[in-house]
Amino acid sequence: MDSKRRGFLKSAAMAAAGSMVLGDATFSLPVLGAADAPTDGDALTWNKAPCRFCGTGCHVQVGVHEGRVVAVAGDKAADVNKGLLCVKGYHVGGILYGEDRLTKPLLRKDGKLVPIEWDEAIDIIAKRIMDAPEKFAFYGSGQWTIPEGYAAQKLMKGGLSNNHIDPNARLCMASAVTGFLATYGVDEPAGCYADLDACDVLITWGNNPAEMHPVLFSRVTDRRSRGEKVRIIDISTRRTRTTDAANDYLEMDPHGDVAIALGIMNQLIESNSYDKDFVEKHCAFRSPESESPTLQGQAISEDEFRKRIAAYTPERVEELSGVPADQIRMLGKLFGQRDLRITSLWCMGMNQHTMGTAINSLVHGVHLLSGHFGRPGDAPTSLTGQPSACGTVREVGTLAHALPGGRLVAKPDHRAQCEGFWNLPAGRINATPGYHTVKMFDQFTLPTDEGGDINTLFVQVTNPGQTLPNLNKLFNDKEKLKDKFLIVSEVYPTATTQLADLILPAALWVEKNGIYGNSERRTQQWFKMVDPPGEARDDTWMTIAIAHRLLELGHEGMKDKDGEFIFAVKDDQGQEIPIWEFEHYYDTNVDKHLFEEYRQFTTMKHKNLAPYDEYVKARGLRWPVVQQDDGSWRETKFRFAGFDDPFVAEGKEFDFYHSTSGDGRAQIWFHDYQPPPEVPDEEYPMWLCTGRVLEHWHTGTMTRRLPQLNRAMPTAYVEMNLQDALAQNIRQGETVLIESRRGTTELPVWIDGRGRPPRGTVFVPFFDETKLINNCTLDEHDPFSKQPDYKKCAVRVRKLNEASS
Amino acid sequence: MPPPADDNHRRRKPTLNRRDLLHGRLWKLVRLPDRPSPVMRYPKTRDDVDNSASESKTAPPRSIGGIAIEPVRPTLFDESPPAKSFPIFRPPGAVEESQFLAGCTRCRDCSDACPHDAIVQAPERLGQVAGTPTIDADTNACLMCDGLPCITACKPGVLNHSLPKTIGTATITEHLCLAHHSTTCTVCSERCPTQGVIEVTDGKPTINEDQCTGCGVCRYVCPAPENAILLMPLFNRPSLPR
Ligand code: SF4
Repeated sequence: MDSKRRGFLKSAAMAAAGSMVLGDATFSLPVLGAADAPTDGDALTWNKAPCRFCGTGCHVQVGVHEGRVVAVAGDKAADVNKGLLCVKGYHVGGILYGEDRLTKPLLRKDGKLVPIEWDEAIDIIAKRIMDAPEKFAFYGSGQWTIPEGYAAQKLMKGGLSNNHIDPNARLCMASAVTGFLATYGVDEPAGCYADLDACDVLITWGNNPAEMHPVLFSRVTDRRSRGEKVRIIDISTRRTRTTDAANDYLEMDPHGDVAIALGIMNQLIESNSYDKDFVEKHCAFRSPESESPTLQGQAISEDEFRKRIAAYTPERVEELSGVPADQIRMLGKLFGQRDLRITSLWCMGMNQHTMGTAINSLVHGVHLLSGHFGRPGDAPTSLTGQPSACGTVREVGTLAHALPGGRLVAKPDHRAQCEGFWNLPAGRINATPGYHTVKMFDQFTLPTDEGGDINTLFVQVTNPGQTLPNLNKLFNDKEKLKDKFLIVSEVYPTATTQLADLILPAALWVEKNGIYGNSERRTQQWFKMVDPPGEARDDTWMTIAIAHRLLELGHEGMKDKDGEFIFAVKDDQGQEIPIWEFEHYYDTNVDKHLFEEYRQFTTMKHKNLAPYDEYVKARGLRWPVVQQDDGSWRETKFRFAGFDDPFVAEGKEFDFYHSTSGDGRAQIWFHDYQPPPEVPDEEYPMWLCTGRVLEHWHTGTMTRRLPQLNRAMPTAYVEMNLQDALAQNIRQGETVLIESRRGTTELPVWIDGRGRPPRGTVFVPFFDETKLINNCTLDEHDPFSKQPDYKKCAVRVRKLNEASS
Repeated sequence: MPPPADDNHRRRKPTLNRRDLLHGRLWKLVRLPDRPSPVMRYPKTRDDVDNSASESKTAPPRSIGGIAIEPVRPTLFDESPPAKSFPIFRPPGAVEESQFLAGCTRCRDCSDACPHDAIVQAPERLGQVAGTPTIDADTNACLMCDGLPCITACKPGVLNHSLPKTIGTATITEHLCLAHHSTTCTVCSERCPTQGVIEVTDGKPTINEDQCTGCGVCRYVCPAPENAILLMPLFNRPSLPR
C-alpha cells in the first residue's frame, strides 16, 4: 500500500467533509437502478437543450416528469457530441436541485440579508440608476443567453447611454477576439469541429482538451481507436491528460509559445517551404506600430517580415521557450508538408496571456504562411470555455467598446446603424468605450473620493468574487465601502453574493427559454421545461423590469424616437404585452422577439442568423446561415473558403471579405517576443499556473452541489513536482501555503496526480471557493484585449509550520 | 413525446470520399455496434430520496441492558440447518464468517476507531448479522489506513492483524463506465489507495482483481450516471484456529 497516495486521499476526504458546500447537507441524488427507471413512454417528456456548462456545446436530451427534470441523456441527433457527454454533462440536470437555491430577493440591512419583495428590489435598483446613471455598471457573462446579453446591451448602450458593460468573457477569450480581428478583420474561427474528424495532426497549444473539452477530444481519440492515424502534438507547460494521449510532448517555459510560433515561421521561410501561392494571393504582412501600437498595425513588406523573422532561429527559440531546437525544426518541417492536414487548438493558455493578442495572431500566421488553412482538417481553431462566449459576448458585443453584430461604439456609422435598428434618436449611443472588467472593478472598489466613479454594479450569471485576478485588490476591498452597492443575480450563494447588497434569485438553464452560441459558431436554442423554484426569475426579465421602472421614474432613455418603451412587445392586436410583470412574461416568447430584433444586426459582418423557428428545429446551426433558393436555410462549416462559404465571390478559392487591408487578404503578423511581467526570483521561486478540472464547471457553484461530482473531485489542490516536494520535505496530501506578492491560500499537495508539472512549476485549479487561488494571481493584462494573465505569476510554497513561525 | 426530429442531421449511409480511400480509411464503412449510452436518472420528487422507508418498521427486540430477552425458538431437528450467512463487507482482517458472528460482541470499538466513519453497524433487517460491523462504500469507503486502527481496537480478535486485509473485489461494468464510452474520466485510478490495481490503457481503466482489496474507494468516487464499479464482498475468508 502506498502511503503517499493515501495521504492525499485522506486530506481530500476530510476537505470534502468540511467544505462549505457539503456542510451538513442531507440532499443526495441516488442513482436509481434500472428497474426503477422511468421508461420513455412513462409520462416523461423529452426535449433538447445545449449543456449548461462548457463551450463545446453538446446537446442533451432532458427528460421531464411532473415539472421536474428527472433524466438527462446525450443527444444522439446532435452533430457536436453524437450522443456522448462528459462527466459533468451527465449531471447537468442535478444543478437545478441543490438544497440552497436562492428563491427570494435578499437585501442587506445592517449587515444582515433580509428577504424582500421583487417590486421593492426592482425599485431599489431603478432608483440607484436614476440617481447616477453614469455611475452604474453591468457585469455579465459568457453564460448569459443571447437574449439576456442583448437585453442588457440595449438597456445600457441604447437606453442609459452608458458603455460600462463588460462580461466575464473578458477574462477568458478577449485575446482570441483581438487575434481574429487583427488577422481576418472579423471575429471567430473559420473552421469548425469537423476539422477534428479530418486532421492528420492535432496541435494543442497550451490547452488540455482531454479534460476541458473532453467530448471534442474524444472525437480525435475515437478516430484512433478505429485504426486511423492522428498525430497529437501537445505543447504545454505541464503534462496533462492530453499529454497521455499525445505522440509528442513539447514542454515549454511560460510565454514560450510566442517564441515557438515565431520559430515555426522562421523555419518555413528558411527552408522555403511556406505556401508561396497562398501567401501571394491571399495574405499580407503586418507588425505593430513602434509607437502606441494598435490592432490595425502597420503593413510591412515580405522582405521586412523575412528580415525580422530571421532572428528567431531554432537555437534562439530554444533559449526563449525551453523547447529543443530540433523540435522546432520538426514543427517547421511538419507545417512545410502541404499534404498533411493540421489543426491547431487553443484555449486559455494562449488567451490568458499578457501577449495574448500577439500569440493568437502568430498561430493564425503560422497556418496562413504554411497554407494550412481552409481545407477540412487544416485550421487554426480557438476554443471557448463558456457555453455562449461566442454567441452572447462576441456576437452580441456585450463588451465595453462594442455594439451588436461586430460594431464599435467608437465608430459614428456603427452607432448610427444601431440607433436606426433600435429606433433611437440620433446621438443616443455614447461614443466613448466604457470600463473593461479589470478597470470596472478597480473603479468600483476605489473609494468615491479617490475617484472611484462606479457606485452601483449589477452582476448577472457569473461569480467575480472568485474569478477576478488579484481578488484582494479588485473585489474584497468593496466590503469597506458603504456607498458602493453590489447587486448580484444568482442561483446559489457564492463568493460574490457574500459581499452583495442585493441578491436576486435567478432562473437557471431549462427553467427559462434560452439561446447559446458555442465555439464553432453554432447557435443553439432551447425552451423552458420546468418552473424555477420559489420566486426565482429570468435574467432577461430582470433587465426589462428595471428598464420599465426607469421609464416610470421618467428616464427619457427608456423611450425610443416615437416615445415607445425600448423593450415594447405587442400582441397581434397591436396591444403592448406587459412583459415587465413576471405573470405576463411568458404570455409571449420574449426570447424570440429579442432574437428576431437582434438578427438584423448580424448581416454586416456576414454572421447571418436564421429565423428563431429554424433553431427550434435544429440542434444548432453554424453561422452564416443563409436561405437557399428552395427556402431552406443552410449553415456554413468553413468560412472564407470558396467551396463552402456563401459569401466568397463566385469562382474564388478564398476570400477574406472583412480584410483589414480592404483587399480580401488575411494578415500574417510579426510580433517580437517579450518576457512575462513577473518571473520567479529568489523570493518567489515558482511559477504558478491556474485552470479548471474536468469534474467542475468554473467556480463550482453548480457542480460542487452535485454529490457525485464533488466526491470525484472534492477539493482544490496544488500539483507539485516530486523533486520540488522532496527538496522542501513536503509530503503527499500535506497542506501547504501558496504565497505571492498579492495574497496567500492554503492547499493540499498532490504529487504526480492528474497533471505533472516540471520542476519549478505548480498548478492550482480555481473551482474551490474555500481555497481561492485568485488571491495570488496577477492582474497584469494584454494591452489590446485587456485580458489578465492567470497562467503565470511567481509564488512560493511554504510548509504551514514554517509559515506560522 | 419522442425527441423532436432534427432537420439538421440525417442518419447517413457510411460513405468514403477520395481522401479517405487514399488514406485507407476503410473503417468508415463499418457501422459501430450500438452500445446503449448512459442516461442520468434523478429521483422524480424529493420524497423519493426519503430513506426512512428502508429502515425497519417492526418494533426493536425487547432487551434488558442490551441482552435480548425474546423467547428463543426451540431447536427442531427435523428442519434443515439454519440458512448459511450471506457474504457481507467486513472491516479488514476479518475472520471466517461463522467464527466472526460467534466472536463479534457488537461492541462497536472498530467503528469508533475508524477515522473515516467507514465502519457502520449492519441494519436491523439483516437478521442475524444486525449490529455487526460492515462497510458501505456508497456512504463512506474504507481507506485502508496505516496501522489499521480498527483491527487493533477489536478485543475479541475477530479482526486480526494476521489475516489478509482484503475485504472484497471491485470490477468495472464497462457499459456503465464513462471512460469506456470514450469520454475522459480517470477518477478511480487516481484515487485508488493501492498502487497498481487500476491500470489505464488508452484512457480506459481496468482493475487487477488479484491485487484489489475491495476497499470501495473507486465505487465511492465514481461519477458515472450509474455507478460503474461493481463491488463484491469476499465469499470465503480464512478461519483462525480456535
Ligand atoms: S461540459 Fe462541455 S464537454 Fe461536457 S457535456 Fe457539457 S458541453 Fe459537453
